[in-house]
Amino acid sequence: MTHSIILLAAETAGKEGGLFDIDATLPLMAIQFLFLVLILNATFYKPLSKAIDERDEFIRKNQLDARERLSKTEQLASQYEQELATARRQSQQIVADAQAEAEKVAAEKIAAAVKEAQAQREQAAQEIEQQKQEALASLEQQVDTLSQQIMEKLLGTQLVGQR
Amino acid sequence: MLNILRITNFAHLAELEVGKHLYWQIGNLKVHGQVFLTSWFVITLLVIVSIAATRNINRIPRGLQNFMEYALEFIRDLAKNQIGEKEYRPWVPFVGTLFLFIFVSNWSGALVPFRLIHLPEGELAAPTSDINTTVALALLTSLAYFYAGFSKKGLGYFGNYVQPVPFMLPFKIIEDFTKPLSLSFRLFGNILADELVVGVLVLLVPLFVPLPVMALGLFTSAIQALIFATLAAAYIGEAMEDHGHGEEHGEHA
Repeated sequence: MTHSIILLAAETAGKEGGLFDIDATLPLMAIQFLFLVLILNATFYKPLSKAIDERDEFIRKNQLDARERLSKTEQLASQYEQELATARRQSQQIVADAQAEAEKVAAEKIAAAVKEAQAQREQAAQEIEQQKQEALASLEQQVDTLSQQIMEKLLGTQLVGQR
Repeated sequence: MLNILRITNFAHLAELEVGKHLYWQIGNLKVHGQVFLTSWFVITLLVIVSIAATRNINRIPRGLQNFMEYALEFIRDLAKNQIGEKEYRPWVPFVGTLFLFIFVSNWSGALVPFRLIHLPEGELAAPTSDINTTVALALLTSLAYFYAGFSKKGLGYFGNYVQPVPFMLPFKIIEDFTKPLSLSFRLFGNILADELVVGVLVLLVPLFVPLPVMALGLFTSAIQALIFATLAAAYIGEAMEDHGHGEEHGEHA
């Protein structure tokens, strides 16, 4: 059956019609195609190309913008970090200074207190010594008078007065 | 009637006509009516779809606009690859329309049941299964690449014929004839053969068996559209290519 189709196709080529029948369809089709190109150029290629290009432009601009902002942010972040580091260093310095000062003050006060205490102790010791001396002196005095009195009592007043 | 094969049981489906045309008389010119009918169908479809896709263009494409943008990007890539980054833009409409027209023609021939519509003579089929259409497209391609060459280099275009060696001259001249010939016959042959194979298979086994061949037909149809457009773009790109020795050395230096 396929054989007969091929044969028939070849056969008809000779008569009117046939597979390779080239006529006015060709130029008309070409003109029609060119019109199609023009129509599609106006309704399809131009608007959509424009849309795509505009979108590309938009995306590129946004991307550029975003990149710029990102770099700015990074810069700011690094700046803040730096500031933070200096602030921390300063605070540590301040704490250390304060500690040193406090230690110094404490040491001074302790030294003063120790000195004062020593002075008071010495003074107290001196006073004690003095009072001891005084007490001994008065005691000696009293010993004299007491011994006088004891002798008077024992020997009588005349005897004592004779002596 | 010789070239109408008929199996009486399947009078409507199992019918194969080859080389019969519905003739329209315009003045004293004859044209193939069935080709124009289907080509008008294809053109209307393309125009309606492109108008629908671009009627309301958004920055974020949706639906049809998205699809057509995909198609446009595909065509632009094709033209860019063949013609080159610098020159491809003005040729996108021509190459793209070649691709879209051939593609939609081929697929409408395979997918739209044109044959159910009865004509007095001949039958509706893909416009590209008629030699007139394919020759018209191929000749337009030839004109296009001549135009591209002359508009780019003026008469210097003839220099292409003796590049890289003058010995090539006859072959280059023959090429100008073989290019449209091969373009048109490749497309015509593929599409017609596909339709005939499907027709014959339907004639023999009208159920299921032709389906794989039909699927294969869809594949070849798409490939043929791609090949035609790619070759057209390649010819245009070739015509505009720089062969100047001095420039070339300058560029490579």
